[in-house]
Amino acid sequence: MKDIREDIAWVKINQDVLKSLENPRKLYWIIIFCALAVFSVGVGCEVYQYRNGMGVANLNNPNVWGLYIATFIFWIGMSHSGTLLSAILHLMHADWRKPIYRFAEAMTTFSLMTAGLFVMVHIGRLWQFYYSLPYPNERGVWPNFQSPLLWDAMAIFTYLSSSVLFLFVGMIPDLAICRDNMKEGWRKKLYTLLSLGWEGTDRQWRNFRVTYLTIACFLIPLAVSVHSIVASDFGMSQQPGWHVTSFPPYFVAGALYSGCAAIITLFIILRYVFKFEEYMTLPILKKTVRLTFAIAMVWTYLNAVEFASVWYSHDGASKDVLIQKMTGPFAFAWWGMVFCGSVVPLVLAFKRFQTNIPVLLVVSLLLNLGMWLERWMIVAPTFSHGYYPWTWDHDQWPSMIQWGIVFGSFGWFTLLFMVFCKVFPSVSMYEVKEMVYHRSLHLKKSETAEQGAH
Amino acid sequence: MSVNNLLENWAQFRHFHPVDDKPHDPYKWAMSIDLDACTGCNACSVACYAENNLPVVGKEKYQHGQSMHWMRIERYWDEDGREFPDQGAQFLPMMCQQCEAAPCETVCPVAATNHTADGLNSQIYNRCIGSRYCSANCPFKVRYFNWYDYPTTDNVWPAEMTQQLNPDVTVRGKGVMEKCTFCVQRLSAAKVTAKNEGRIVKDGEVQTACQQSCPTGAISFGNLVDPESRVHKQWQTQQVELDKDKQDKDEEDSGLRGYRILEELRAYPSVMYLERVRESAV
Amino acid sequence: MIDSGFDRRDFLKVLGWSGAAVALSGCGNTSIEDGRETVVSYSEPADYVIPGIGVYYNSTCAQCDAGCNINGRVREGRVLKLEGNPDSTINRGKICGLGQAGVQHHYNPDRLREPLLRKGDQGETISWEKAYGLIAEKLKGVDGEEMAFLTGGMSGHLKVLLGNYLASFGCKNHFVYEAVSPAVVRAANKKSYGMAMPRFSINKAKVVLSFGADFLGSWISPVHFSQQYAQFRKGVDGQRGVLIQVESKMTLTGANADRWLAIRPGTEGVLALGIINALGTATGEIAAAVKDYDRARVSAETGIAPGQIDKVAALLKLRSPSLVLAGSAAEGYAHGSQNAAAINLLNHVLGNMGKTVEVSETIPFPQMAPSLGNTAALKSLNDGLSAGKYKVLFSYAANPVFTAPGALKFKEGMAKAGFKVAFAHYLDETAMQADLVLPLDSALEDWGTQVPEYLATCAQINVQQPLMEKLHANTRGMGDILLALLKQRRADEYKGYEDYYAYLRDALLKNKSALGGGKIDDDTFWNETLTKGIIKLEGPVGSLATKVGAAGLKLPVSDDGDDQYPLHLIPSVTASLRDGRHANQPWLQESPDPLTTIVWDSWVEIHPKKAAELHIVEGDIIEIASRTGTIKAQAYLFPGIHPDAVSVPLGRGHDAMGRYAKGFGVNPFQIMDAVFDKETGELAMHETRVKITKTGQRVIVVKDEGAAGGKQMGKKIAVRLSTDDVDLSEEV
Repeated sequence: MKDIREDIAWVKINQDVLKSLENPRKLYWIIIFCALAVFSVGVGCEVYQYRNGMGVANLNNPNVWGLYIATFIFWIGMSHSGTLLSAILHLMHADWRKPIYRFAEAMTTFSLMTAGLFVMVHIGRLWQFYYSLPYPNERGVWPNFQSPLLWDAMAIFTYLSSSVLFLFVGMIPDLAICRDNMKEGWRKKLYTLLSLGWEGTDRQWRNFRVTYLTIACFLIPLAVSVHSIVASDFGMSQQPGWHVTSFPPYFVAGALYSGCAAIITLFIILRYVFKFEEYMTLPILKKTVRLTFAIAMVWTYLNAVEFASVWYSHDGASKDVLIQKMTGPFAFAWWGMVFCGSVVPLVLAFKRFQTNIPVLLVVSLLLNLGMWLERWMIVAPTFSHGYYPWTWDHDQWPSMIQWGIVFGSFGWFTLLFMVFCKVFPSVSMYEVKEMVYHRSLHLKKSETAEQGAH
Repeated sequence: MSVNNLLENWAQFRHFHPVDDKPHDPYKWAMSIDLDACTGCNACSVACYAENNLPVVGKEKYQHGQSMHWMRIERYWDEDGREFPDQGAQFLPMMCQQCEAAPCETVCPVAATNHTADGLNSQIYNRCIGSRYCSANCPFKVRYFNWYDYPTTDNVWPAEMTQQLNPDVTVRGKGVMEKCTFCVQRLSAAKVTAKNEGRIVKDGEVQTACQQSCPTGAISFGNLVDPESRVHKQWQTQQVELDKDKQDKDEEDSGLRGYRILEELRAYPSVMYLERVRESAV
Repeated sequence: MIDSGFDRRDFLKVLGWSGAAVALSGCGNTSIEDGRETVVSYSEPADYVIPGIGVYYNSTCAQCDAGCNINGRVREGRVLKLEGNPDSTINRGKICGLGQAGVQHHYNPDRLREPLLRKGDQGETISWEKAYGLIAEKLKGVDGEEMAFLTGGMSGHLKVLLGNYLASFGCKNHFVYEAVSPAVVRAANKKSYGMAMPRFSINKAKVVLSFGADFLGSWISPVHFSQQYAQFRKGVDGQRGVLIQVESKMTLTGANADRWLAIRPGTEGVLALGIINALGTATGEIAAAVKDYDRARVSAETGIAPGQIDKVAALLKLRSPSLVLAGSAAEGYAHGSQNAAAINLLNHVLGNMGKTVEVSETIPFPQMAPSLGNTAALKSLNDGLSAGKYKVLFSYAANPVFTAPGALKFKEGMAKAGFKVAFAHYLDETAMQADLVLPLDSALEDWGTQVPEYLATCAQINVQQPLMEKLHANTRGMGDILLALLKQRRADEYKGYEDYYAYLRDALLKNKSALGGGKIDDDTFWNETLTKGIIKLEGPVGSLATKVGAAGLKLPVSDDGDDQYPLHLIPSVTASLRDGRHANQPWLQESPDPLTTIVWDSWVEIHPKKAAELHIVEGDIIEIASRTGTIKAQAYLFPGIHPDAVSVPLGRGHDAMGRYAKGFGVNPFQIMDAVFDKETGELAMHETRVKITKTGQRVIVVKDEGAAGGKQMGKKIAVRLSTDDVDLSEEV
């Protein structure tokens, strides 16, 4: 079965997608308001924390890292969705990605922006974060290149800028369509500016293809390396539960996993809200679900590898941490992670559920919950059960401030994404057109070259 | 600010782990603590508060694990299931071990913690941005973070109590990591005095606050590479070497008391402990 | 150190510093622009002040009565930190945590700054002139019998002045009261050794057997004994000393013992006699006295295994000399004197007299010798107060409203006194009940001389000098106050003295030759004295009893307990808090208790077995009820306590005395029954019987140890070696 119907007229594609840019209904504003409210809570919490000190987050010795780092990794992980769909599947010529990669790529960019916030929120002296940048200073002081946190900073910055570039470049033909189909107003001005004078000439298309491909090729190793570097924050440390060589691939697998799960969630939402059933079709959903399932199994395997290697090692401290995760105060979260991350995706193996929208919505949210719990379980138990017994289990629960900021980040992401959906086309029109069989080369009466036979 | 500077001095910047071609000279500060003499009285811990401007955090913050004692006294029980602890308890003063290959030094993103030429793990307060990776990586968890702004917190240093503050030691604001420095302010002062006289610091000339206060004299501190120093002699007679993760004498039962904690992690701590002794005849 | 020929007081007037300034720079958020940092100009400092260079002065620590000599680091006219004076024979350059906190006693934000006169529930500030006037007025026509002066332990010139003041009234009612004092031990020592406080040479002993004497923590002279302990461990003739501690609740010293014996409360004397029996070397009267104390009986009564008794006896026999000490065994019980007598017998039997129990000197100025505080004095005072005997009550260096056992109802008694004057540093519980409160200079601002009870090597007088100028303009030194009061009574005699400093200087100079300064001029002698901080003397040496009888030694049969109140309450004395006078020093509140690691709060120690019986877990709020009253405290499961006892630390539970003391913890003194040692009349500290019940509340215990408690979880963190396996021969 084809991924999408082949007889959709190009005009209809334009119309359907551009319709999503119309003035939003009331529900949109309600959700924006809610997102803004949640985000404000997060901002309020951060201001409070900034003024009073990190202690309000209920962090302490030895639990010096908490939800900020866990959620940071979570957001970086989510960002791999776009890269996976845009870049990797592009190289594999998997055309079914075409209707859905745009919003995935947007998700990537916004996830990275959200993750970047957490770096700031987490450090004790936010106003001096620029010390970690190699800026010219009279003392001749460089940041410490041995530190994985610094690699993080470098990698994320690179990844973010590349993702923004990738998103933008990929949108140019669509922005031109928008420009050509808009009435006068701020939108038309915006699209005119952003489409950089795209006319759709052969030459432009050729350059475009090469650029797009280059960035895609560049972005894939970058994505892998970014999350590997984030993994090395832990892998490079000798703390029990962290000093695991399989962390880089494990983190990357987890990232792809949570990215895919998020894609399913947003797929279902956008499909319903914008009535994109023609484009975000069930066959595509099915393919996405199967991909998610495959990645879930890979992640499960790598998880099992980590546990197994801890088990048969002679590293008593690491074993203790693993047992602590399974049976100690964090057990509820750890088993929640196992359930959501390894048991729930089994549902996706059944054809019956692979296109069942309500089930998939719930499952995808659970999968992401599982992945968030996984990040928390990597960060927290090692602190409260490390090498030095005197410092074990010391009041390790996050305060409301931490939760406030974590939820605030979701509000921030939602805000960004919702604005994106109403300002930029969330389905890649030109790519969908490539999928559709062009029956007629004739232009219909109402269409002219200026209006959009692109 | 030059790439040249970076390339030339990189090895020196990062590599104070003792190797033959670059031994510590003329100072390597080290400590030795006799657990048989330590009575657990906590005098050293209070002296450290006095000397280094440590804030008293109060009951609520202490409950949250946010205390600031650079030197903490740990108390261990025998774990043989007896009804009473008939061989007493065991006390261990634990502070920054000033590891030669410190796991904290490599991971600070802004290089706020480094190794000095005289073998200390330095903490540079005004460079620290508070990422707390150093504390995450410390196996001993002896690094303490300023979770609040103690200079402006009520009742930490109310008027008049600020007059007690040691002017030689920075008072830290929020967001900064701190830890035992082997009283580096005293070391610096002693080194300056010695330098003005054209010599090196003699053994016993400089004392850390904890060492000076300890009523039983359980803490020995000094220059490990000075063959006349007490601490050098102790390390030597106990056959404990700085840059090893397993001492030769541990191969068989040597009856020597010296050991270092979590030595197998290869952090090469500069603090040697002497095992407590218990009489077998009673 | 300082040369002669300058005026010390001029020096101290250089106070070129104020406010929260200089030290708060660095990476904090303060700046000069926002007015929170100041720059101080030293364009004209005094001759000998070099900004940035510290000067060191010797003085005497006043945090407890051990009388350690301290050395204060002073910079820019303010004292920063205290160290031990290396020339002191008592503490030899060392200082305990309590001593370090002396600066917090001095800089405490809750210090009294003005004289206060009661007006209803408030204190109204009055001037010193008015205050002195008021005292004179209230004392008019008051007979010596009708006034009482309560103090803590006193010595030196302050004692002389006070004595003279009281003599001017013909008043004999000087009550010297210390809540924590080895008074029973003193009396027992006098009987057994011929001296109240001989020299205990721990460093010469091969075995120390301590019956509850916490000599490393809070007993008599802990810093000094700690140093001796270090030598003791290094060994006499290369043999490491062995410490055996016998007590019902583990003290700091007990935690360091090679063998800690949990003994049924009150039966220490029985064990002592049992050991003498097991030794088999006693003769005559002593042998007769211990005849019935065979292993089986002793083991049954004390709970110590017979094999253990044998081991201890064998070790004491083998390794000589040894040293046997009585501590809480003596102070704790109504038969404490008998316990102590039995324990002291051991030293005779083991031949320790003259070897580890040695003669000590006394100072050649008996009028300055310490008046030793005890609890029997409190009872006398309380009896008088309750009877309404006193028209005027003075109180100095004592806080009986806090430390008196609840059963005495001291507060009610005190209310009956006509006019109450408290000389205090802080508004503590007793000051809160006074009619007139006079603010004192801190110990670091004041002049004085002090003679410690326990003279470590030679007789000495400790000199106390200010380490900086007064912090608060309107406080006065106690010496100055007494002098002013004396001038009211004996103006002619004392009018020549401008202040206490002048009096002290004159008094010491008058005795210059006796004090070792015969050959030098007055100024030099005075300055040298201040520089050294210690006046070492040769005094008359006491004499030790060479033998002792055991006639009349009768130990009570151990009681089976009280059904209603089955447990012994052991109020423990911790090294930092002692009787609670330092609870307002935050370093001490935040310094974890060495054994439980608990901070800022009280707790009740319960043996895990007992706790399991009663289904008590850590953090449960337990109500501890005695016949006198009830207190509530959080439960802490502690293996170092006898199951028949529970322990609550002394020192917390203030409802006054400032922000760092008020509201933290509970005060076990409140529920103590009024049981006294039969022979000496001293309060029997462990005789209060209690019952415990759960209240259903639970809290998180605020402590330093983590969830692993005291376990090392298989790691080599704090290790111990048996003497069989260790080779100490090469050690440095």
